[in-house]
Amino acid sequence: MKRTVGVGAMTILLCTGCSSMGVEPWERDVLAKQEMQLTTDEIEAATDDHIYFSKEASSGGRGFGGGGCGCN
Amino acid sequence: MPSSYSLVIASSQGQKRREIRLELAEDAWHGRFQAMGSPCELVCEAKKRHEALELTELVAGEAWRIEDKFSRYRAGNVVHRINTAGGRAVEVDDETADLLDFAVTLYNLSERRFDITSGVLRRAWHFDGGDRVPSENIVSDVLRLVGWHRADWRRPFLQMPSGMEIDLGGIGKEYAVDRCAGLLREQGSSACLVNFGGDLAVSRAPEGRRSWKVAVEGDAEGEPAHLIDLKQGALATSGDARRYLLKDGIRYSHILDPMTGWPVPDAPRSITIAADTCVEAGMMSTLAMLKGAQAEPFLRAQDVVFWCRR
Amino acid sequence: MSQKETHSISVALAAATCTLLGSGISATVDAQEEPAWDFNTSLLYYGEDGDRVKDFSVSAIARRMFIDDRYLTLGLTIDGLTGATPSGAIRQDVAQTFTRPSGNAAYSVAAGVLPLDDTFKDTRLALTAGWQQPVGDTSQVSVGASASKEYDYLHLGVNAKFARDFNQRNTTVSAGIALSMDSLDPVGGAPAPFSPMLDVGDTSNRLGDQDKDVLDIVLGVSQVISRDLVVQANYSYSKSDGYLTDPYKVLSLVDGTSGDTLLRSIAPGVDGPSHQFLFESRPGERTKHSIFGQAKYYMNGKVLDASYRYMSDDWEIDSHTVDLRYRIPFGANRYLEPHLRFYTQTDAEFYRLSIPDSLPLPGHASADYRLGNFDAITAGLKYGWRTHNDNEMSVRIEGYRQTGSVPADQLIGNQVSRDNFPDLNAIIVQFGYRF
Repeated sequence: MKRTVGVGAMTILLCTGCSSMGVEPWERDVLAKQEMQLTTDEIEAATDDHIYFSKEASSGGRGFGGGGCGCN
Repeated sequence: MPSSYSLVIASSQGQKRREIRLELAEDAWHGRFQAMGSPCELVCEAKKRHEALELTELVAGEAWRIEDKFSRYRAGNVVHRINTAGGRAVEVDDETADLLDFAVTLYNLSERRFDITSGVLRRAWHFDGGDRVPSENIVSDVLRLVGWHRADWRRPFLQMPSGMEIDLGGIGKEYAVDRCAGLLREQGSSACLVNFGGDLAVSRAPEGRRSWKVAVEGDAEGEPAHLIDLKQGALATSGDARRYLLKDGIRYSHILDPMTGWPVPDAPRSITIAADTCVEAGMMSTLAMLKGAQAEPFLRAQDVVFWCRR
Repeated sequence: MSQKETHSISVALAAATCTLLGSGISATVDAQEEPAWDFNTSLLYYGEDGDRVKDFSVSAIARRMFIDDRYLTLGLTIDGLTGATPSGAIRQDVAQTFTRPSGNAAYSVAAGVLPLDDTFKDTRLALTAGWQQPVGDTSQVSVGASASKEYDYLHLGVNAKFARDFNQRNTTVSAGIALSMDSLDPVGGAPAPFSPMLDVGDTSNRLGDQDKDVLDIVLGVSQVISRDLVVQANYSYSKSDGYLTDPYKVLSLVDGTSGDTLLRSIAPGVDGPSHQFLFESRPGERTKHSIFGQAKYYMNGKVLDASYRYMSDDWEIDSHTVDLRYRIPFGANRYLEPHLRFYTQTDAEFYRLSIPDSLPLPGHASADYRLGNFDAITAGLKYGWRTHNDNEMSVRIEGYRQTGSVPADQLIGNQVSRDNFPDLNAIIVQFGYRF
C-alpha cells in the first residue's frame, strides 16, 4: 500500500518537473482531434467502467471509482 | 500566459500614433489595432511570432491606407476634395472610381435607398441613445442636399451641387476587410481571419480546428445568440447596438431612408449575413435593413445565410 | 417583387463585387451555426452464457455549451437486468434446494449443476448532472451530482474536480473528490452475517435497511510529450464504510473430511433449504489504492491507446489491468478499432470456496467469485462512421472471458475433483450515436 502511494506521488512529481517538454500552441492540431482525447467516448468509457465494476473487484483508475449501484 | 508586444508605426502623415498589439491566445496569434473607428483584429495560425507580426503589419497598413484615403475627416484626401469642391468637377483615381461605380449599382439595386450622398443627414440626426428627435423642418432642409440623382458621375469625373457630400462609410470597412483577405491569400502562408469590428472574412480555413468560431452577439450582455462555424467566406453585421434614439417608446434606428430623411420604420435590431465576401455580406445586410419590416422575406428570397434579430 | 426579381439582386451584387474587388475572390462561403446541444447516446446489450445475467441498457448524455467554455452535462441511463448469478453455494452430486432471498419461495438445482440465484430481474435508473467552467486563464473546476435507483438500492453522490494547466497547457494537474451515500433495502431484508439460510417464511435472521458510504479521491497529471503523444498518470484512493456484504450470497457449510455440503432436516409440510448454507460476511470497511497510467500515440492517422492500472486494497486483493485500443481510419469518414484487455486479480483474504465445519468460523468469508482468483480477457472490434449529416455512429462487439481457480489449500475431499470456479463468458454489443 505504502509502495503504491510512493510510486504514485513520484510519478506526479516527475511529470510536473517536465517543464521543458511539450509543444507550442500552434502545434496542437493532432492533439485537438477527438480520437486523441484521453477519453474519446464518454459513454463507452462509462459502460466499460460499469461492466467491470460489476464483474471484478477493481474499479476506476481513469476517473472516479464508478459504482453507485448494487452490483458489487 | 498571453505575451503582449507593442509596435508603434507613424502614419503616412507622421501625426497620429498608431499601435499594433500582438497577443498569443489559445492556438492562434491575435494582432490588434484601431482603424476606421473600430477595434480591428487579425487572427492567424502563424508558426512564428515574426510571421504573425508581418501579416498584422500588412493588414493594418492596408486598413490605414484605406482609412486615410476615404475618411471624411482627413483633410486633403479624395473624399475631402469632393466634399469641398463647391460645385466643381473632381477627377478621381481608379480605386475611387471603382467604389463609385459600385455605389451606383447599389443605388439601383436598392431602388435608391442606398445613397452615398445621404451622409449629410447626420447634421439633423444624432444617434446617441438619447431622445432628441429632429423636427420635420430641420430634416427637410437637409434633405435638399441628399440624392445621387443630383450628382453627375462620368468616370473619372464627379460633379455635385455645392453643399452635397459623399460618405463611403457604408462600404469602406467591408471593402477593407476583403482587400486585406485578398492580400493575405496572395501571401499564401497561414490561415487567417480578418475582423474589423464585427465585419470579417477568412483567408483560409484553419488547420488546427475544423473552422473559425465566431460568436454573434445576442440580446443580453455577454450572452451569444449564435455560435457560428466559419470555414470559408465572410460575415458582416448591420446593427443599431449603440446607435439609436428612443423617444416615447419608439426606437429610431440609425438606418435613414434618403427619400424621406427619416429612419426606416420597423428595421430589425441587427442582421448578420454570411457570404463569399465581406462586401457582399455587408451590402446584403444593409439592403435588408432598408427593407424595414420586409427584411426577413427579402433575405429568404435571396437564398442567403442570415441571422436576424428584432 | 417576384421571387425571380429578388433573387437577381444577390446575383447582381455578386457580379458588382467581383468587378470592385477584381481577381483573388475567395471560395464559396461555408458557415454553419453550431447547435447549442451535443448528444451522445447508446444502446447496450450485455449477455453472459447459459442462464446467467443479461442486461439491456439505454444511455444518453446531453451537453450544452455556454459562452466562455462553460458546460452543463446531463446524463441518463436505464438498465434492464435479467438472468441468474452464482449464489456462492458449491455444486453437489445430489440435487439441492434453496430458499429465495425474499424468503417467500424455494428453488431447486439439479445434481452436478452450479447453483445460480435468478432473483436478478431488476430495472435501474441512473441520473447525473455536472457543471464545468474555467477559473481564470489556466484552471478549470467542475462539480456534479449523481443518483441511481433500483429495486433494492439507492445511490446518491456528489463530486468535484479542480484542474490547473502549466507550461502553455502542456501539463495539467488535477484533483478530484467524490462522495457517495448509498442505502440498501435487500429483498426480504439484509440477513445477519453468517446466519443460516432458513425455511420459507422464516425471516428471523433479517436486519433492517443498510447504509454504505464511499469516499473517492483522484490525483492526476497529464502531459503532452510531443505533437503526437500525450500521457496521463492518476493515483486514486477509495474508502468504503458500512454494509459491504452481498445480501444474496451464501457459502456452503461442508463436512471437514469429505468436503460435501452438510444436509439439513426440514419439518414435514415446510419448504426450505435441503442443505446447510450460511450468508456471507464481509468487513465493514475497505480501502483501495490504484495507480493508473495511459498513453495516446498518433501514428500517421492511426491512434494507439494503451493504459495500465494497478490496484491494491486492504482485503488483500491485488489486480493488474492492461487495456489496448488501436484506431485505424479508412478514408475521412470511417474507422475500425480493435480492442484487447487483460485483467488479473488475486483473491480476497476472506475468499472461501466453502466453510468446513471442522474449523472455527473465520472473521469474514465470501464465496463470491468476483472476489476470487481469476484472469480475464476482453477482445473486441469497434466500427465507426460519420453520417451524411456530419453525425457519428458506431457499433462494437466484444467478448469477455473470466477463468479462475480456487487456491489448492482450500479444496477438501470431493471438492478437489470438481470444477469449482464459475467461469464467465459474456458478449457485449453496443450501438452509439452522437449528434
